[in-house]
Amino acid sequence: MDKIKKVKLGEKDYPELLNYIANPPAILYYQGDITLASDPLIAVVGARKASPYGKWAAYHLSEKLSEYGVGVVSGMAYGVDSYAHKGAVDNNGRTVAVLGCGVDICYPASNRALKEEILKTGLILSEYEPGIPPLPFRFPMRNRIISGLCIGTVIVEAGLNSGSLITADCAAEQGRNIYAVPGNINNVSSFGANKLIKDGAVPLIVFDDIIDELGIDRSGQKRNQKIELGEDERKIYDYIRKNGEVTTDDVCRNTGRQPSQVNSIVTILEMKGLLQTSLGKIFIAK
Amino acid sequence: MYSQVKSGSLYGLNSEQVIVEADLSPGLPAFNLVGLPDVSVRESKERIRAAMINSGFPFPSKRITINLAPAGTKKEGTHFDLPIALGVMAANGTVKKSVAASFAFLGELSLEGKLNRINGALPLSIGLRKNGIKKIILPAANAAEVSAVDDILIYPAESLGQIVSFLKGKEEITPYAKQLEQKWRKNPENMDFSDVAGQETVKRAMQIAAAASHNLLLIGPPGAGKTMMAKRMSGILPEMSYEEKLEVTKIYSVAGELTEEQPMILSRPFRAPHHTVSGPALVGGGASPKPGEVSLAHCGVLFLDELPEFSRYVLEMLRQPVEDEKVSISRIRGTVSFPSRFLLLASMNPCPCGYYGDATHECTCTQNQIRSYLSKVSGPLLDRIDMHIEILPVKYSELAGLGLDPDQDGFLAKPKTSDELRREVEQARAIQLERYHNEMIYYNSQLTTGLIKKYCTLDNETKKLLENAFQKLSFSARAHFKIIKLGRTIADMEGEERIRIHHIAEAIQYRSLDKMYRGI
Repeated sequence: MDKIKKVKLGEKDYPELLNYIANPPAILYYQGDITLASDPLIAVVGARKASPYGKWAAYHLSEKLSEYGVGVVSGMAYGVDSYAHKGAVDNNGRTVAVLGCGVDICYPASNRALKEEILKTGLILSEYEPGIPPLPFRFPMRNRIISGLCIGTVIVEAGLNSGSLITADCAAEQGRNIYAVPGNINNVSSFGANKLIKDGAVPLIVFDDIIDELGIDRSGQKRNQKIELGEDERKIYDYIRKNGEVTTDDVCRNTGRQPSQVNSIVTILEMKGLLQTSLGKIFIAK
Repeated sequence: MYSQVKSGSLYGLNSEQVIVEADLSPGLPAFNLVGLPDVSVRESKERIRAAMINSGFPFPSKRITINLAPAGTKKEGTHFDLPIALGVMAANGTVKKSVAASFAFLGELSLEGKLNRINGALPLSIGLRKNGIKKIILPAANAAEVSAVDDILIYPAESLGQIVSFLKGKEEITPYAKQLEQKWRKNPENMDFSDVAGQETVKRAMQIAAAASHNLLLIGPPGAGKTMMAKRMSGILPEMSYEEKLEVTKIYSVAGELTEEQPMILSRPFRAPHHTVSGPALVGGGASPKPGEVSLAHCGVLFLDELPEFSRYVLEMLRQPVEDEKVSISRIRGTVSFPSRFLLLASMNPCPCGYYGDATHECTCTQNQIRSYLSKVSGPLLDRIDMHIEILPVKYSELAGLGLDPDQDGFLAKPKTSDELRREVEQARAIQLERYHNEMIYYNSQLTTGLIKKYCTLDNETKKLLENAFQKLSFSARAHFKIIKLGRTIADMEGEERIRIHHIAEAIQYRSLDKMYRGI
């Protein structure tokens, strides 16, 4: 475990953007590389109880940001936060976790492995002294640091009373950009994010939008090479892509295949990284 | 004045012969019963006295001593009424000793002198048959049940008076003739898989489970049809063999679950204990051990609806019966073992409120509640469940029997009936029986690691897929063998000798809980 260090307001290593917010923390305790906190960063936050869609979006958004060398900031909570960190660490990206407790405490405890992954190249940050326990009132306070570190904040998925909306409010007060990932309007867990869009947040129609927003040139990057698919695979993949969230039964009925065939093709497409299954439904992964 | 007649006593599913000795001697009138009778046997004195007098026979006013030999084992059950009464009458000279000694007797008396139905008649008769007894007099209500035993003459009687007339040669009782089994076939609710609209994927999974007795867990929100489909499960299992029917009927006989309308169990049992069930009720128990739900589900389906609602202590008790296919209950008198080879079918919601992952209802559970709910079924019990699949509510168009989405080009497959599904299951079972005829196992779900190596070889391409799946979906080690076993079953359903890549690929889809645990 890295040594816990601290940096005071006004010192050289103090995260640059935090200097400009209304009530910057006087001292920050951290583990890892503090210079990362002054790099261009984007916060990716959302609901703890995330839907498969939310997890997918968080993961791949972070993947995209990492690809262009943008650091990802989040809160290391369950759900969207965890997937945001994972998307970065799995793809050689750098990521900052801002905690609502002392940096020596792993909360939630089940994220211990993730915390270690983050520390390999990233940063764990908190305004609380080591040993201070995670209590509910500390998290909204913590959220101002998440948004304060970043040029922009992306809300991936949020219910109506989600804590991620507090982060969005902080970002707005600090004059930072707010982005939101749109969700289906018949899904309760997307109300929060969709409402932000209504209130003026920038919707991310595709992940590349955020790269354009940041003013990074995408032309130099190579596009995904096409993956070879068989005829049956292509048919099923196209159907799922056209219809979004579907069940195996839907695929069977509409492609005229037996469940046995569909199930085995879905597995193969899952292995190729094109599909994802969860809670009885099939999603597009790429 | 001494006499002896034969009867039997029951312990667990085993019975042994009991000689009922009766002795009448001069002295103050008394009725003593020795040979470790329990309360139900000791009370028989009062029933016998009233029944004899009300049937018009004299009750000897002598010192009556009854001994149930062997005197060292405990006896229980009301079926001793009739042999004791006959012993007294033989000693008294009402019937001839030699005639009474040529039969075995089982039956409970009413005060009026009528014979009442008894529990455990089938295993008792099987035990008597083993001791070389060929003629049994028992209550008419039990005759059909016992007729399953070959090579034995059953004399069904209605009353004590009738038996005495018969033994005196005044009246004829014709031995019970075996009835056509079909008459008792139980299909009260007429449940068929063709009633279930849509859900083709779940049906397929259930069929695979049936084909090799894989234990199955259904996960889905309320109203998805979990219970409806589970109830139809026993209908797609293959027909029971004669030995299986006899074994199951024995268990039901001991448990007192047979009726006159259903004296034999001919179709596979389906047991669905409520989640408040106690441990002994589930696995069996009691001072004199009685079979529990797991044994009553022997050869059939044990359905545990709302699995995480069962108490953890009760679920842990399931481990031995599922693993060993029998329950051993130890008591001071000895150890009783009841068979329990069943297909475990369980259902659960994805979270405590039931709507996690549902697009139309908001799930009100916290992440921690969902985790603790899922973790209730984790560990050793989950280790014994081969397949888990998610089940979602059907759409209206499917319910209405249209079978297609109105705004999409669809095709409509007529749902298969239970009979059609069962025929395919039977074919797959036949393949397995032939393959394993030297291995002391019946079907793929019983394969051990060693046998998997012997019978489930995978080609390189398939091995690569499996390896890939492990990394991508982060499956546990325990999932590895289960997927191969499932792949074996899927191949058998297609009549394929080799396990192909698409068999394994399909099997991977039936391990959804592994994926649920993967999510943070």
